[in-house]
Amino acid sequence: MRNRITAPTAVLLMAIGTLAGCEQRPPLSSDLVAVRVPTDPGLRDPDSPVWRGVPEVRIDLLAQNVTPPTALEPATEELRVQAAHDGHVLAIRLEWEDPTEDVATTSDRFGDQVAVQFPAAHGGGPLPSPMMGHDGAPVRVMQWRAVLQHELDHGAPTIHDLYPNAVVDLYPDRLLGGEVASPYGGGRLVGNPVSRPRLLSPVITQVAEGWGTLTDAPDQPAGGRGVWRDGRWRVVITLPFDPHGRGEAGLQPGLETQLAFAVWDGGVQEVGSRKAWAPWAPLRIEP
Amino acid sequence: MPKVENWQLGRAMDYPYEESRPRRQLAMIMDTNKCIACQTCTVACKTTWTPGRGQEMMLWNNVESKPYGFFPLGWDVKILEKLGVQDLSGPVYEGRTLFDAAPPGELVLGYLPEDLDYAHPNVGEDDSLGSMTQGAFLTLPHMQWMFYLPRICNHCTYPACLAACPRQSVFKRPEDGIVLIDQERCRGYRECVRGCPYKKSYFNPITHISEKCIGCYPAVEQGRQTQCTITCIGKIRLQGYLAPPAHARDDNPLDYLVHVARVALPLYPQFGLEPNVYYIPPIHVPPPYLRQMFGHGVEKAMETYRGAQDDQRLLGALLLFGATPYILHHFRVQGDWAVGYDEDRREVVRVPLREPVYLRGAYDARAGTHRTNIT
Repeated sequence: MRNRITAPTAVLLMAIGTLAGCEQRPPLSSDLVAVRVPTDPGLRDPDSPVWRGVPEVRIDLLAQNVTPPTALEPATEELRVQAAHDGHVLAIRLEWEDPTEDVATTSDRFGDQVAVQFPAAHGGGPLPSPMMGHDGAPVRVMQWRAVLQHELDHGAPTIHDLYPNAVVDLYPDRLLGGEVASPYGGGRLVGNPVSRPRLLSPVITQVAEGWGTLTDAPDQPAGGRGVWRDGRWRVVITLPFDPHGRGEAGLQPGLETQLAFAVWDGGVQEVGSRKAWAPWAPLRIEP
Repeated sequence: MPKVENWQLGRAMDYPYEESRPRRQLAMIMDTNKCIACQTCTVACKTTWTPGRGQEMMLWNNVESKPYGFFPLGWDVKILEKLGVQDLSGPVYEGRTLFDAAPPGELVLGYLPEDLDYAHPNVGEDDSLGSMTQGAFLTLPHMQWMFYLPRICNHCTYPACLAACPRQSVFKRPEDGIVLIDQERCRGYRECVRGCPYKKSYFNPITHISEKCIGCYPAVEQGRQTQCTITCIGKIRLQGYLAPPAHARDDNPLDYLVHVARVALPLYPQFGLEPNVYYIPPIHVPPPYLRQMFGHGVEKAMETYRGAQDDQRLLGALLLFGATPYILHHFRVQGDWAVGYDEDRREVVRVPLREPVYLRGAYDARAGTHRTNIT
């Protein structure tokens, strides 16, 4: 059963909320619906006022305790999800509590992350396992990484940003030509999306057919933006619709599909399979 | 959980993957009696492979002092403590491996070092076990001792890094057993850094993924020994290929030293990884310490090594260390010479068993001058 909260009701609820002095939350819903809104650049911004009227679903997160290495007591318990679209782009806004903003990596520090997962055959075929899909039933995973967001906003760190007193004699690329120095590029040389120097999006689009098989998708349609403030992350992940085969395949207004989630708190060394997650929740995209 | 044969443990053991030995296995022997910690190997490796951005703190090859040196800090004592005291007294290992001891929800018993643990590669350097007392004199074994332990990735037969990676970004090459981290597939989870007990997998904070010793595979593919081996001033290293005991060839210098003469022993075999870097133990160090590090064969290895001057074959094999940059597949002692051969049995190097002696008189007739002793 769906709770359709009308606009006047939403305004009344928000007014009551404001008068009561509590945090202004969007209207609560038990069903995840991507509401249609007029085209608005704010869709890509988690802080935009366009999100205030979009109904929010609260998702309880589970421990990943099925495949090792596990996270038996993950740090994040609840994820708040909103979805909206303007006929061109689907935007999913995710909000969760995280006491620390983890945006840099050294050998013992991990970045915060969130991911949404769709069946690869949106709305068609047997539903893949919510745990990263299964053999013959792939999923698409859009993973936002705080580290990539930070590098997009502030530029990639140098070793002196991480270790102010580091002493370095000479890097090969200062002395040798690009071709010869390239072996020292490691992940950057081979275009690993986690390492890539020319950053286009803080969200990596991937495919999987069972845990352990996560691989970069040949196409990278997903965009996004994340902001941390006052102990909460607010992240929007955007996906263009696919009218002519250039966006996310199969995604279109009117579609009914499923969405699963995962959250990583880098501050407690969550990464990979050490995560909090939620299985399939129905998503209806308004026509 | 599949069962695999680990000849170093003398038994089968659990491992997450089926047994699949490479066609041949890259291996190395280090003679700790000769290492002077000049760090030429460390510099050679660093200038060859890790001068890049994010690699600044990586030492794919490092030389640490024992008993008080470690890189990263306390790497061996920490994992030994986690594993607990185990019985290493006999040829069949009765204790637990790191796979046996994996906690619930983990693949390997391990830990992630703190970042600062990498900040002190020279900690404990040259520190002896304790101070010498007034009037003391050294006997064998030394009562106060230290030695140098040069280390690289052991390119284990059953790598913990490979077992720990949940997305199979670590692989072992079937042609030579070299273990590599796929730079395209790695996502920087650092399960390999956690899992490797020798801590030879390193995280690159600039590329956000992990890297490790690559066994100088471009050189090895062309029949050359690794950079750390060929640059070693003390000629303490020999790198080649090692077969499992059943296929050992007596004329392969590595097979001979490890399986026949048994002077070269694996590093912490009790972890269960079947590491492929072997050590000739330091003869001046008390056996109980060495037994924990190299297993139960230490006393025999030390005794055999000390008898090398009377064993032409052993002497010949040892003298081929550092004699040539090429990988030796065969060797033999021919009269007063140790001879090394490549894969096609072509002679590659010839080393005299006795250093030739030249007598120089006080007057050099050819130059018409006296030779002056300037030492």
